[in-house]
Amino acid sequence: MSTEKSGVRGLPHRETVHPPSLHPSPRRGEGAEALHRNARMTLSRLAPYLQATPLTLILAAFLVLPIATIAMVSFWDYDSIQIFPAFVFTNYEETITSPVTWNTYINTFKYTLIVWALTLLIGFWVAYYLAFHIRSTTMQMLLFLICTIPFLTSNIIRMISWIPFLGRNGLLNQTLMTMGIIDQPLEFLLFSDFSVVLAMVHLYTLFMVTPIFNTLMRIDRALIEAARDAGANGWQILTNVIIPLAKPGIAIGSIFVVTLVMGDFITVRFMSGGQSASVGLMMANQIALLQYPAAAANAVILLIIVLMLVGGILRVVNIRKEL
Amino acid sequence: MTKKTTSKGVSRRQLLKGAAAAGGLAAGAGVVTGFPTIWAQNPITLRQFGTGVSNINAIAEKCKADLGITLQMTALDSDAVSQRVVTQANSFDIADIEYWICKKVFPAGTLQPMDVKKIKYYDDIVPIFTTGKLTPESKIAQGTAPNTVGFVEGPDSKTFAKSPTQWMTLIPTIYNADTFGIRPDLVGRPIKNWKDILDPAFKGKTSILNIPSIGIMDAAMICESAGVIKYGDKGNMTKAEIDTTIDFLIKTKKAGQFRAFWKTFDESVNLMASGEVVIQSMWSPAVAAVRSKGIPCVYQPLEEGYRAWGGGLGMAKHLKGAQLDAAYEYINWYLSGWVGAYLNRQGYYSAVLSTAEKNMTPDEWAFWMLGQPAKADILSPEGKVMYTVGAVRDGGSFKERMGAVACWNSVMDEDRYMVRRWNEFIAA
Amino acid sequence: MNSEKRGLGFYVLTAFFVLFVLFLYGPLTTIFILSFQGPNGGLTFPMNGSSVHWFKNLLFEQQAVGDFGGAFTRSLLLGLMTMVATVVVSLLAGLAFRRRFLGSGPLFYLTIASLIVPSILISLGIGLAFQVFGLNPAWYSSAFGAHLTWTLPFGLLIMFAVFNRFNPSYEEAARDLGATSWQTFAHVVLPIILPSLVGVGLFGFTLSYDEFARTLMTAGTFNTLPLEIYGMTTNVTTPVLYALGTVTTVFSMAIIVVALIAIAVLRKRRARKVAG
Repeated sequence: MSTEKSGVRGLPHRETVHPPSLHPSPRRGEGAEALHRNARMTLSRLAPYLQATPLTLILAAFLVLPIATIAMVSFWDYDSIQIFPAFVFTNYEETITSPVTWNTYINTFKYTLIVWALTLLIGFWVAYYLAFHIRSTTMQMLLFLICTIPFLTSNIIRMISWIPFLGRNGLLNQTLMTMGIIDQPLEFLLFSDFSVVLAMVHLYTLFMVTPIFNTLMRIDRALIEAARDAGANGWQILTNVIIPLAKPGIAIGSIFVVTLVMGDFITVRFMSGGQSASVGLMMANQIALLQYPAAAANAVILLIIVLMLVGGILRVVNIRKEL
Repeated sequence: MTKKTTSKGVSRRQLLKGAAAAGGLAAGAGVVTGFPTIWAQNPITLRQFGTGVSNINAIAEKCKADLGITLQMTALDSDAVSQRVVTQANSFDIADIEYWICKKVFPAGTLQPMDVKKIKYYDDIVPIFTTGKLTPESKIAQGTAPNTVGFVEGPDSKTFAKSPTQWMTLIPTIYNADTFGIRPDLVGRPIKNWKDILDPAFKGKTSILNIPSIGIMDAAMICESAGVIKYGDKGNMTKAEIDTTIDFLIKTKKAGQFRAFWKTFDESVNLMASGEVVIQSMWSPAVAAVRSKGIPCVYQPLEEGYRAWGGGLGMAKHLKGAQLDAAYEYINWYLSGWVGAYLNRQGYYSAVLSTAEKNMTPDEWAFWMLGQPAKADILSPEGKVMYTVGAVRDGGSFKERMGAVACWNSVMDEDRYMVRRWNEFIAA
Repeated sequence: MNSEKRGLGFYVLTAFFVLFVLFLYGPLTTIFILSFQGPNGGLTFPMNGSSVHWFKNLLFEQQAVGDFGGAFTRSLLLGLMTMVATVVVSLLAGLAFRRRFLGSGPLFYLTIASLIVPSILISLGIGLAFQVFGLNPAWYSSAFGAHLTWTLPFGLLIMFAVFNRFNPSYEEAARDLGATSWQTFAHVVLPIILPSLVGVGLFGFTLSYDEFARTLMTAGTFNTLPLEIYGMTTNVTTPVLYALGTVTTVFSMAIIVVALIAIAVLRKRRARKVAG
C-alpha cells in the first residue's frame, strides 16, 4: 500500500468533485469533434448500465426465477404423499401461529447476536492489526492466505474433526486433564450451544475481517497523523477517527455474519448433535420429507425478516453513500 | 463418483464367457446370450443415484465386467436421493431409494414401474417384499411395510396396489432389522428392552436417529416398551399418539438423556467409537465398523423386536428402448447372486437369497444367514477379518431377526403434523 | 507511521493475531494427527497405531464408495470458473454503483436477498427451474449459477468496502494528464485495488470450493467434492478423509511458499533492471 500513500501525497486534492461524465478533460478537448464527444458522453452515461448488466442477468436467472418459484410453491397444498398446486394460506398460518416457529426464531436470533458480537470483536482487531501494524502488502496478503488455508479443507471434514477435538475423550479434554487443570472431561464442549457458537465464530470471523480491513486501508493516514498532532491519544483516535470511518466495513461484515448465521443449518445440526433448532434446519427437515410448500412459506418469512434486519443495519450505516 | 472400467483389450464376449465359466453362474447364462446382440455396437451407460450404503464401486466394476454396462454411481445422503429423484427426472436412470420415502417419491411420477414378467428372479424375491409375510403364518409388521408400496395398479399408475400386481415400483436391494448398538465395556448391565435406553445411568450417553420418519419409530418402540402408551398402529399414529410420543421425547431430552442425534452412518460410528455414547439406535454394519477398530460393540437384540428398513432400485420414467432393456438386464444381474452375496457379507440382507447363497461359502452362509458359529474367520467383502472363529452373529439367523420385525420406518397419514411436532422436539 | 517505533499495542495485537490463527488451525491439528491413524484406526481418538496407510489409500487406491479424483477435478474447475466470474462481475458492478443509475436500489437489495435466501432453497429452486425448462442440471451450468448467487454478493459488498471513500482525485489527476477512461482505469484504479481483487477472487474460490447446500440440487449427475465426501459418510468412512485434509493443507501451503519465492525473485530482477 506504500504506492498509494505516496500517491496521496503526490496528487493534488481537488476541492470539488465533478461526476466524471460531466467533466471532459480540457486539454484533450481541443481538436475533438462534437460528434465524437457526444458518443463518448453517451457511452459514459451508459457505462453504469453496461457494467451492472452481468450481475443483473445472473441474478435474474439464478435468483429471481427460483425465488418466484419458491413464492409460488409456498401457496400450494400438500399431504403425506403429494403436493398440489393450489392457493392456500395454510402453510403461512401453520408457520406463523406455531410457537415452535417463534422458539426457533428466538434460538436463531440468540446465535446470531452472540456470533455477531464475537466476530465483530475478534474481526475488528484482526483487521486493525493487518491494516495498521503490517507494513508491506505482500505480508498482508501472506497473512490473509494463512487465515484462508483452513477453509480449503472441506467443511464436512472439519465438522467431523470437531468431535475428536472437543469430545469427551478429545484432544482438548485430554490436554486439559494432563495439565491438571480439570479432572473430569468437560461435557459442554461438544453438542451444546457453546460448540455451535464456537464453530460459527470459527467459520465466519473472516467474513468480518475482510470488509473491515478493506475500509481501514482506505483511511487516509494523514487524518490519523493530524489527530495525533492535535494531541489525541490512541483511544481517542480509535473511537473518534478510525471506528467512525470503518463503519461501512463493519456494516458489510455484519450483513455477512447475520445472513450467514440466520440461514445456517449444517453447523447447527452437526455441532449441537441435532439437539438445537435453527430456522434453516427446520426448513431442511421439511424439504427432506418433500414438504416443499411448508419449507417455501418458511423461506419467504425468513427472507422478509432478514431483509428487515439488513435494512436496519443500512439505516445505521449507509454503505452506498460514501462510494 | 463415476466409475469407468475399461475392458483392457479383452473382447467383452471373451470376458463374459470367462466370467461365466469361472463363476459357474447358471443364472448368468441367460444374460450372456442376450447381451452381445443388444450392446455389441452400442455401449450403454446407466447413471445410478443412491446412498453410499449400496452404491459401491465394486458393484459397478463387476457390472462392467459381467454385462459391459457402464454404471456411473453417485453417492448421496438419503434425503438428497429422494429430492433429486422427485425434482430432476432426467439426471438419473436408476434410483436407489428407501421404501418409506417411496410412498412420497413414486407418486411424483418420475419413476416407471417394472414389469415383473421381465424380472427373472421375481418368484424368488423374499416374500416380505411381495406379500409382506416372511412365512405364510407371519404377521405383517406395522409401518410402511415394503409390500404396501411395492406395487402399483398398472404401467402408468401412481396408485399403490393393495396386493401384488404385475407392476413393481422398486426391486429390493438391501434391508435389515435394527435395534441398539451398545458398548458392552461401558454399559455395565444387561440390555434387554427398548426402554433400557432411558436408564438414568446412561444420562448424556445415548442417541437416536435424527430422520423424523425413522426417529419417530425408534421413539415409538421406546415409549411402548416403557409403558408410556399402547399404540393402535405405531406405523400410522393418530395426532394424540404423536403428541404423547413427542411430549415424552421432549421430557427425556430436557432431562439430558441424549448426547446427540445422528443422521449419517458415519456419525453413528464416530459417536460410538469415540465413547460419546454407550447405547444408541444403530445399523448392523455400523456396529461392525466400530468393532473393526478394536473397540467392543454389540448389536443387541431386544425383546420387543426390531425396527426394519429396506431400499430398492427404481427405474427412471424417461428410460426406453435399449436403455430400458439394459436397465432390466442390470436388475436381473443384480438379483443373480454376486451382489446379494456382497451385501450379505456386510451384514445387510439381499433380496434373492437362493442366488446369494450360491455365491457364498457354506461357512459364510451359515454364519450370516443361519446364525451359526463361524468355523473359520469371517471376512468383509474387502478381505478384512470381521469375525474370528467361533463368533456368532448378534441376533442370530435371518428368520430370527427378520421374523421379529415389530415395525418398519414409516410415512404416516399425519406426516405433516408429525414433522411439525418433530421440529418442536428438536427445538425444545 | 513508518518511522514510528513498535509500541505495546503492536505486541498485544500480534499475540492476539497468533491466537486467532491458532484457533483457526485448531481442528486442523486433529485432522493432521488422525490422518496418521493405523490401518485399523477410525475417525476419532484413540489412535490405533500410526502409519501413512491412509495417504497411500488416498493417492493410489480406489475407495469403497465414491471417487476423490473426479470430484476434486470438478470442484477445482468450478471453483476457478466461479473465481474468475466473481472478480469480473463484481468489479464491473462495483464500478457501476459508484455512479447513480436507474434501478440501482432494487439491484442492491436483490444482491442482498441473494445472500439471505437459504442456500437449500436456492438449490431446490434452480434445480426445479432447470427441470421446468427441460435443461439438464450440471455442475458447470446450474451449480455454477448457484455458486454465483452466493459469491457475487460477497464480491460486490467487498467492492463497496474497497471503493468506499476511494479518493476520486487519483482519477481526476489522471484524466487531467490526458488519460482516457480505460487508461485511467488500467493504470490508476486497477493497481490500487488489485490486492483487494485478489482477495475477492480468493473468497470466491474458497466459497465455491467448499459450497455444499447450493450444489446439492444443482450438481446434476456428478458430485462436487463436498457432496462426494458427504455421500461417503453414508457408508463406513475412514481416516482417508483426514488424509485428504492434511494433503490439501500441505499442498496449499506449498503453493503459497512457491508464490512468495516467485514474487521475491521477480522483485529482485526488477530491482536489478532499474539499477542497471
